[in-house]
Amino acid sequence: MKFSIQREALLKPLQTIVGVVERRQTLPVLSNILVVVSNDRLSMTATDLEVEMIARVPLDNAQPGDTTIPARKIVDICRALPEGAVINITLDTEKERVTVQSGRSRFNLTTLPINDFPSVDEITSQFEFSLPQNILKHLIEKTSFAMAQQDVRYYLNGLLLEISSGVVRAVATDGHRLAMCTHDCDVKPVDTLQIIMPRKGVTELVKLLDDTDEPAQIQVSANHIKIQLNDFVFTSKLIDGRFPDYERVIPKNSDKHVVADKETLRQALVRTSILSNEKYRGIRIRLSDALLQAQANNPEMEEAEEDIEVDYSGEELEIGFNVSYLLDALGAVSDDTVSLDLGDSNSSCVVQPKGDSTCTYVIMPMRL
Amino acid sequence: MIIHADMDAFFASVEIREQPALRGKPVVVGGRAENRGVVAAASYAARQYGIRSAMPTATALKRCPELVVLPGRMALYSEVSRQIQAIFARYTPLIEPLSLDEAFLDVSASTTLFGPAPQIARDIKQAVLDELRLVVSMGVAPNKFVAKIASDLQKPNGFVVVEAADVQTFLDPLPVSRLWGVGKVTEKKLHARQIHSIADLRRASAPFICQHFGQYGEQLQQLARGHDPRAVITERDAKSISHETTFAQDVSDTEILRSVLSNLTEQVAWRMRRQNVRGRTVHLKLRFDDFHTITRARSLSSRTHRTRDLWHTVRQLLNREIANGLPPIRLIGMGVGGFDAEESHEQLDLFDVRHDSDANPGPARSEAGSIDKITDDINRRFGNKRLSRARGLRHPRPGSD
Repeated sequence: MKFSIQREALLKPLQTIVGVVERRQTLPVLSNILVVVSNDRLSMTATDLEVEMIARVPLDNAQPGDTTIPARKIVDICRALPEGAVINITLDTEKERVTVQSGRSRFNLTTLPINDFPSVDEITSQFEFSLPQNILKHLIEKTSFAMAQQDVRYYLNGLLLEISSGVVRAVATDGHRLAMCTHDCDVKPVDTLQIIMPRKGVTELVKLLDDTDEPAQIQVSANHIKIQLNDFVFTSKLIDGRFPDYERVIPKNSDKHVVADKETLRQALVRTSILSNEKYRGIRIRLSDALLQAQANNPEMEEAEEDIEVDYSGEELEIGFNVSYLLDALGAVSDDTVSLDLGDSNSSCVVQPKGDSTCTYVIMPMRL
Repeated sequence: MIIHADMDAFFASVEIREQPALRGKPVVVGGRAENRGVVAAASYAARQYGIRSAMPTATALKRCPELVVLPGRMALYSEVSRQIQAIFARYTPLIEPLSLDEAFLDVSASTTLFGPAPQIARDIKQAVLDELRLVVSMGVAPNKFVAKIASDLQKPNGFVVVEAADVQTFLDPLPVSRLWGVGKVTEKKLHARQIHSIADLRRASAPFICQHFGQYGEQLQQLARGHDPRAVITERDAKSISHETTFAQDVSDTEILRSVLSNLTEQVAWRMRRQNVRGRTVHLKLRFDDFHTITRARSLSSRTHRTRDLWHTVRQLLNREIANGLPPIRLIGMGVGGFDAEESHEQLDLFDVRHDSDANPGPARSEAGSIDKITDDINRRFGNKRLSRARGLRHPRPGSD
């Protein structure tokens, strides 16, 4: 195995897949990446047994071969080489070592046998569809912040992808708030398909996606999802569980409707949050005629107050929230105007871009 | 000074009080022999036949055919237990109940008002007898450990005071089995090393004890010297709630471990709900056959007192240890800490039923929360452990053969 490659052509795909490699390993080979070279192509694979990512890079005049090399070290070496450097990589099959040479720098890396490298079983696809990359990216970016982290309700530690006739939807919730984004799509599954992609798979996948409308080929099996892009193949196990009935927790008949300028509201809340309790992040929202007041205080009894002009003419209401949840939702709204629909002080608040129902955020209040 | 108050044959005594015809007769409260029941409490008349609590009822009946076997009335005992605690509370707010029938009382701050600790103990003993017609044995000592030994020493109707200066002379002649946590297995190990009395243990070299019993041995030696720094902790002040069980024989069967852990988790969760506290950190404690003890902890994303959430977390901790390979286990325990000091700042949950309101009929009914509520209601009404999770039944009930 022997090939030459420009630093940038190697570094970018390496950095994209190396996030999969866990820093602490149970199996030594999992801290390596699998390198497979054919005449005209280099393919590199990283895995943590749950998520697998393959990056493919075209080569000229390569000598075929394969091995596994330490992932972090090859990334660090590539990154530390000067811009534009040409890197020559050679496998010494006898000594089972890889030489990385560039200019006057030489590195000798250990290898591990490729047979030790775990490969994901070939998945038997039960449903296939294709989605423009930018739309998949949009669905994830608008929702993934609400995923739970290490929750005992393990099925919340991931992102729900729901594919029904003509529609793809992403939903994430940690039980305190929920984010949902829906997009039209040319799909016709027999039944509505629900899969839960684990948190790590979601955060790694989004790094592969760009803003072009190049198609992402998606295959779903009983316990895997496989997504093929031009230069990458992404495979992730699915969470084996049932996502809660999220539609039931989206209130349909809230009687208090607020319309506000998103950026004004967001900035006011950012300022208020400075003096909220650092641990609980609670703020009080008071609604009255055309006015939204935000108020926070901390254990030192310092206090912040903001008056925000809004479009509101309903009953007065006082309600508490974790300000981070409000800010996350407002941050995900791309429109200039945002609507907030509320019930009473124990009922959830629905945040939506004004006049756009493709993204919905539901936030449960906090008792203050 | 600390008082340890321990009711004499509590369940049986309450039954005899209710049915005076039973006075002087051998009486036990427990499950029926036909149902492979065990004795929960035995009157002192019954104990003369060698009948002990945790003995199968069938065995007890063989030893004493005229034995009166009564089914337990947990609701009644709980009520009487509350009356007893109300008497304690006249003398000190620092009460740490260990179970329905025993409690520690810290009376150090009560002496100017009610006289010296022994006097307070006398007064309580008399009040329990006069008002409830029940006998309580009292141990009065500078710390919890010595007070507990003292209350047990002259049972029934015991009353033992150990002044600070007398602690060592009091402890020295006692057998090591009197020490907290020393059961049959540890006793045997100590005997094998020529350690019979508490004095023997106290005089043994620390490295020797450490070599054979590890950190636990150090604790034992501290106790043998009469050192016990633990304070009386009222339920209200508890920073964590935990339960643990020492097995009569070391256990390797992981199903039994899971089953016992499930029971412990139910007890802890029930106490949390009763005190209305929610915790964030879940601990698992394991002591191996070589006395080496490990604890594992995990934090939750939000505070809870739901049995199911606590169980899932502690089960994960146990499963991980099982996967790593476990030596035989002599003690298993679980606890929950990280309580919310501030009642406010309660983040409501989307999938929780409590927060339903007319404006928002949304949230799905929370199954786990309602199971807990029903279980608690039934157990409050009909006595503890009437309703429990089936996985907790896989092991023989504690104490049965």
